[in-house]
Amino acid sequence: MVRFGIEFVPSEPYWKTVFYAIQAEKRGFDYLWITDHFNNRNVYVTLTAAALHTEKIKLGPGVTNPYLINPVITAQAVASLNEVATGRVILGIGAGDKTTLKSTGVEMHKPLTAVEESVEIVRRMMIEKSVTFKGNVFKTNNAKFFFKPTTEIPIYVGAQGPKMLTLAGRIGDGVLINAGHPKDVDYAVDRVKKGIQQAGKSLTDVDIAAYTSFSVHEDMKKAAQAAVPVVAYVVAGSPDVVLQRHGVNKEKAEKISGALKASKWGQAFGLVSSRMIEAFSVCGTPDMCIERITELLKSGISQFVIGSPIGPNVRKAIDLISDKIIPHFEK
Amino acid sequence: MDYRRIVKMVPAAKREKLSTKLMDLILKSKSADKMPSNLVRTLLHHWQQGPLTTEIGLSTLLEAAVILESEKTIEALKEMLQLPDVAEAIRAVG
Repeated sequence: MVRFGIEFVPSEPYWKTVFYAIQAEKRGFDYLWITDHFNNRNVYVTLTAAALHTEKIKLGPGVTNPYLINPVITAQAVASLNEVATGRVILGIGAGDKTTLKSTGVEMHKPLTAVEESVEIVRRMMIEKSVTFKGNVFKTNNAKFFFKPTTEIPIYVGAQGPKMLTLAGRIGDGVLINAGHPKDVDYAVDRVKKGIQQAGKSLTDVDIAAYTSFSVHEDMKKAAQAAVPVVAYVVAGSPDVVLQRHGVNKEKAEKISGALKASKWGQAFGLVSSRMIEAFSVCGTPDMCIERITELLKSGISQFVIGSPIGPNVRKAIDLISDKIIPHFEK
Repeated sequence: MDYRRIVKMVPAAKREKLSTKLMDLILKSKSADKMPSNLVRTLLHHWQQGPLTTEIGLSTLLEAAVILESEKTIEALKEMLQLPDVAEAIRAVG
């Protein structure tokens, strides 16, 4: 049976995110993912507050990156969080996004190697007394905690490109596929399976999640309207091959990207077409969302992550998902 | 202000609707930074324990809503919930 996760961007005071996290737990979600961008509230502060006010939901960063947060610090953070929410902590890690990294002056150097090495360092820090690691991107010299992590933490690798997807299948306990359209998810799951085979693991060993931009409302137009800003950013950040797959004009995508960079929101959002919304989000009435999730399940995903914007009214959307969508998949 | 005393003035049949309206007011508020940290802890505690339709839950929500969105709260009580006496009680003390 598919499990449901929910993603929050901690862009507002922490208590609002925690309010929604409590609601999500009460309404049957299994996973809580908090995004990690330096320009929002800190992910671990938010997660700690959420951990203190919840009891069952699994929670973790979705996703952090090893360029801004050194893997030993990530290991320390999740091991500490695991003392607050023992056995509930999960870690999402990926290469990060170029725009955010660029604004901090950090280069995305050898992303595949960086992710692979950071996953190894985090895992080893959890179980070994001290870690000496000589990688191509990261090095540690007898790095050790002055405390003992309580349990191992499942590591999910965030991936979009073909090589990262295969790597994620090979090294991850889970994979967070950054897509919500069956064409993209089918393609991604195939690559992930390749990695799982390479590692000699079974498909059931890896939790494959579709990490989607999602918007639900009883009125389809309102759902779509809420999705527009997120879709604009997704289009602007999508590689050419993905745009082509969905028949999205590259020049139009570049115009959206340019308008976003110039903070011309109205112009950027005005260029978002219904085709783009259909390609880059799961959006519509509950029945429409059920139909899309059903299609995605055929690809072999085991977790469906409901990501931003969730709906025009987040509180109502969580109730709607809980009342009308999740029960459909529990039958 | 004794919000529990004011909440007692709300008929049981209107408590769920009031709770929902107050939640939306505070969650959509652009003045969220005005929320006192002790009230945040109380609110999250009661929200975790159960629905915010209990007397204590509603009084916490009402206090938060008055701090963040005073005028909108009074307007909602008068217009949407048809509770002018509750609105006046809040205005009188505030």
